[in-house]
Amino acid sequence: MSAPITEPTKVDGAGVPPQRNARKAPPRPGDKRTEGMALNVFSHGFLALWAVLIILPLLWLVLSSFKTDAQIGGSALGWPSNWQFDVFTRAWNKGIGDYFANTLIVLVFSVPLTMLLGAMAAYVLARYEFPGNRLVYYFFVGGAMFPVFLALVPLFFMVKRLDMLNTYQGLILVYVAYSLPFTVFFMHAFFRTLPTAVFEAAVLDGASHTRAFFQVMLPMAKPGLLSVGIFNVLGQWNQYILPSVLMQPQTSSDPERYVLTQGLIQLQQQQGYATDLPVLFAGVTIAMIPMLIVYLSFQRQVQAGLTSATLK
Amino acid sequence: MRKGQYRFVAGFLLAPLALYLIFVIWPYLQTIGYSFTDWKGQSQTFSFVGLDNYKALFQDDVFLEAIWHNILFLVFIPVITILLALFFAFMVNAGGRGGAGGVQGVAGSRFYKIVYFFPQVLSLAIVAVLFGALYRSDSGGLLNGLLIKLGLVDGNNPIEWMNEPNLVLWCLMAVVVWHGVGFYLVLFSAAMQSIPRDIYEAALLDGASRTHTFFRVTLPLLWDTVQTAWVYLGIIAMDMFVLVSTTTQGTGYGGGPDHHSEVMANVMMRNFLYFGKSGYACAMGVVMLLLTLILSVVTLRATRRERIEF
Amino acid sequence: MGSTSAENSSPEGVGRRDLIKRSAALGLITVPTMSFLSACASGGGSDDNSGDKGTGKTSKDNPFGVKKGGGKLDVVVFKGGYGDEYAKAWEAAFDKKWGSKSAHTGTQEITGKLQPRFNGGNPPDIVDDSGAQQIKLDVLYKSGQLLDLASVLDAPSIDDPTKKVRDTLIPGTLDPGLQGGKVVSLNYIYTVWGLWYSGKLFKEKGWEVPKTWDDFLAICKDAKSQGIGGLAHQGKYPYYINIAIMDLIAKQGGLDAMKAIDNLDPKAFVGSDAAQAAIEAIYEVVEKGYLMPGTNGLTHTESQTRWNQYKAAFITCGSWLENEQLKQTPADFDMKFMPMPSLSGDKLPFEAIRAGSGEPFIIPAKAANLPEAKEFMRSMLSKEWSTLFAQKANSLTILKDSVSEGVQLRPGTQSTVDASKAAGDNTFNYLYFNWYSEMDVSIQNASNELMSKRIQPKEWLKRAQAAVDKAAKDPASKKNHRD
Repeated sequence: MSAPITEPTKVDGAGVPPQRNARKAPPRPGDKRTEGMALNVFSHGFLALWAVLIILPLLWLVLSSFKTDAQIGGSALGWPSNWQFDVFTRAWNKGIGDYFANTLIVLVFSVPLTMLLGAMAAYVLARYEFPGNRLVYYFFVGGAMFPVFLALVPLFFMVKRLDMLNTYQGLILVYVAYSLPFTVFFMHAFFRTLPTAVFEAAVLDGASHTRAFFQVMLPMAKPGLLSVGIFNVLGQWNQYILPSVLMQPQTSSDPERYVLTQGLIQLQQQQGYATDLPVLFAGVTIAMIPMLIVYLSFQRQVQAGLTSATLK
Repeated sequence: MRKGQYRFVAGFLLAPLALYLIFVIWPYLQTIGYSFTDWKGQSQTFSFVGLDNYKALFQDDVFLEAIWHNILFLVFIPVITILLALFFAFMVNAGGRGGAGGVQGVAGSRFYKIVYFFPQVLSLAIVAVLFGALYRSDSGGLLNGLLIKLGLVDGNNPIEWMNEPNLVLWCLMAVVVWHGVGFYLVLFSAAMQSIPRDIYEAALLDGASRTHTFFRVTLPLLWDTVQTAWVYLGIIAMDMFVLVSTTTQGTGYGGGPDHHSEVMANVMMRNFLYFGKSGYACAMGVVMLLLTLILSVVTLRATRRERIEF
Repeated sequence: MGSTSAENSSPEGVGRRDLIKRSAALGLITVPTMSFLSACASGGGSDDNSGDKGTGKTSKDNPFGVKKGGGKLDVVVFKGGYGDEYAKAWEAAFDKKWGSKSAHTGTQEITGKLQPRFNGGNPPDIVDDSGAQQIKLDVLYKSGQLLDLASVLDAPSIDDPTKKVRDTLIPGTLDPGLQGGKVVSLNYIYTVWGLWYSGKLFKEKGWEVPKTWDDFLAICKDAKSQGIGGLAHQGKYPYYINIAIMDLIAKQGGLDAMKAIDNLDPKAFVGSDAAQAAIEAIYEVVEKGYLMPGTNGLTHTESQTRWNQYKAAFITCGSWLENEQLKQTPADFDMKFMPMPSLSGDKLPFEAIRAGSGEPFIIPAKAANLPEAKEFMRSMLSKEWSTLFAQKANSLTILKDSVSEGVQLRPGTQSTVDASKAAGDNTFNYLYFNWYSEMDVSIQNASNELMSKRIQPKEWLKRAQAAVDKAAKDPASKKNHRD
């Protein structure tokens, strides 16, 4: 190969946001090393650089919670001096704990329910012929493309009429409904690839369709369920717009049931009127670290789940 | 048997369909209804104005600019994210050179896979706070702080990242890419791992370079996954609401400086809540919906290829 | 003040029927809309103030007929620079007097919390609708959600029952609450706007309060030479720099210049000498590099905190600044307010300040407990409650002589009191930002461009004028007029 370095460089050049480009050391032209060596140095360097770009800001944010307001406003690179944990207490007292609990309560129900209903719909759509099958399928899948906030106000009234505003069950049902398109789309593809032999054997043994689904097909679809489940956990965990409309106290005596994203945005907005930036950073740190720990403990499953998602 | 089957199908579809109709389809249809009214959003009173909202839309420079920005995002975010993720995935999985001519990832590939995924587990609210602090327009921002320290930027004239018309879109894109690359890295690695190793080894035996292997072997086999990634990223690019509304300049859901970072979602929200032009905002929503539909169809058509079986 | 147009007749009823009739033709799409409408017609559409029937007997001390014991009141206040302790104190006083049970919400997210409730027809009884997430008053008004406060203002004052409430207020302070000729919001806090500086920093540097723009620029220059920014502003929200710009216009051109803007004159900006002089003066600060570094991109708290750290000589703000920055202000900072310096040929003297009222309190037209809400608002305008407010929130209210003797104010607030006294009758204010949200935002955008040196004063004038012209095209704008 005469000009081996150019191609991956191009790939990378297009891929890096411009302001980062400036800081990356490009491979020196005229380097006489072999292709493998040059590429190795280059790729290692670049992989490491990106890792730094991920870790550094996060670390900086955590450190910032130990700064005073004056230090935060001063130089970004100043080392924190205020090594006290009362800032975390202050942040915790802003309700971060409750926000966590609320989020968990919702997700514990909404994700399994999403998976169950999504799998049921996807299953019959994938494996049973009936008139209108395609129509229902496209009907479901089409919903994945619509931006959520289009539906906000009518949705609000719908939930209100069901008397479910600012309730966990209301938010859970809405989460499920809005996660269905994606779930059905994904599981549909998955069920189509499952072998039919086992299913037929079960039916021959006298199992009903329902039993065959729950006892044979669903367990076989476990890898697919796991990966879609991960998508749904991430998606619902990060949801902001839906709860910000549906989880507002309806009277002043109605208790606040904010989820974490809402709580954090509120914390950020409070900065607008009573400046306490360290508390904001501490709050974000508190919200961030458990997620990272959970991820680190389950990262194998996460990656395995994603792997199975692409296996056919 | 056949009858029982229909009952079974109906039974399985009933609950999901009902939920979906009540909470998703019905509200969307109502939004379409609202778009023909002069609804102001603070009460349930309005009158019918026909197509006025739609006519006004096409003279609304801010909204048209927002569409343009979404299109830019739609082009750049998927391209950049996917290329970076592919590159990383390739390096992590097949970038290393094993002693006996085998194929393996670079050293520390597990570490990279874990770290790169970090941003994905952080909620957008956290990401918004983080980048707000990162892009801060004086020496207190991480970027400015670093650049000033390195002597690349004058402390008296720091870069106002989010207040520079030429930078703001790129700054926003950088956030999305930063947030997303890890996810697609893992997704693509998974797909790469499912490619039988002997294909690589055969390629290596043929004397193909890594570059060559990537473009001739890996990429075509990954095409399906890339297409999926494209659709996800496209949806993200059409949204951008949380990021734009919390990190950019301007009164009423950001979008500044001087509309240089407007996207459809935040223009819509501003009209909806801030200006009280809710019927008009719904018309924007309907246009967004149509655009999303068109783009999805186009994307799926354009990226359709013969699937390679292996 | 204003014209009293017959706005009260609700155009909604007709509209709704109209919609249903016509939408039948639209077929599929409108079927859900129709049933939706008929469903909600019973919910939120009742226009007669069903909550207005006080069950108690009306009397001179109880003009709205609040029932003693068992009453309810739902209070939502914006929890910003003034906190919400004052409201809790009021609620306690109210509950004690009337045996009622008040529910309290203090929040920054007024829109997020209340828009659904307004839409749902179950709004709170009294709201301090303020802050960055305020629901715009013009929008609420146009949606028929605001109670005309005349009945409260014409009720007898608690302190002196021979007087009407409205006659106990500082003149002009009700004006910002006008929509379509009616007072629909009570802007409770007496507010002044202008420039702020640190008495300590000024003493240290030997600077005098600048009375003219040239003196002001000279201080900025001196500050810059010592590594301090001249002017700081809260660039992420260009509302703040507009304080300076609009003050300069008002002082240069007097009442006529202000009226031209509020009344959407075709020569409000382009062709207005006052506007041109003002914007060129501001631009001088930008051009000479006297802005605090990075200030154009900072949020208000970031910027104000930098100013508190002596990184800039001046900052633009209203009188809530001191409260907002309490935690960030060094003990010896000696926060001081000053009027905008004079340009040559100003029609108003240096002492003239923008003064008026802020923090709009509203009573939703569909409030469930109207008598209680009205009585609550009447009580707010008593000396007792006004003093409570001054104690808890360190600020003055629109009540004349609003504070009892002996209440100690912080230096910043005290300096605004002094400035108001010095100004005497030379106070002014604008009304456009309560009337024309969209125009306000457009002018703010233009100001942001100017401060970032991306447009010149001439272009700013053009843009501001374009915003005015656009607002004038809206037929609804005819209903507002400043005389």
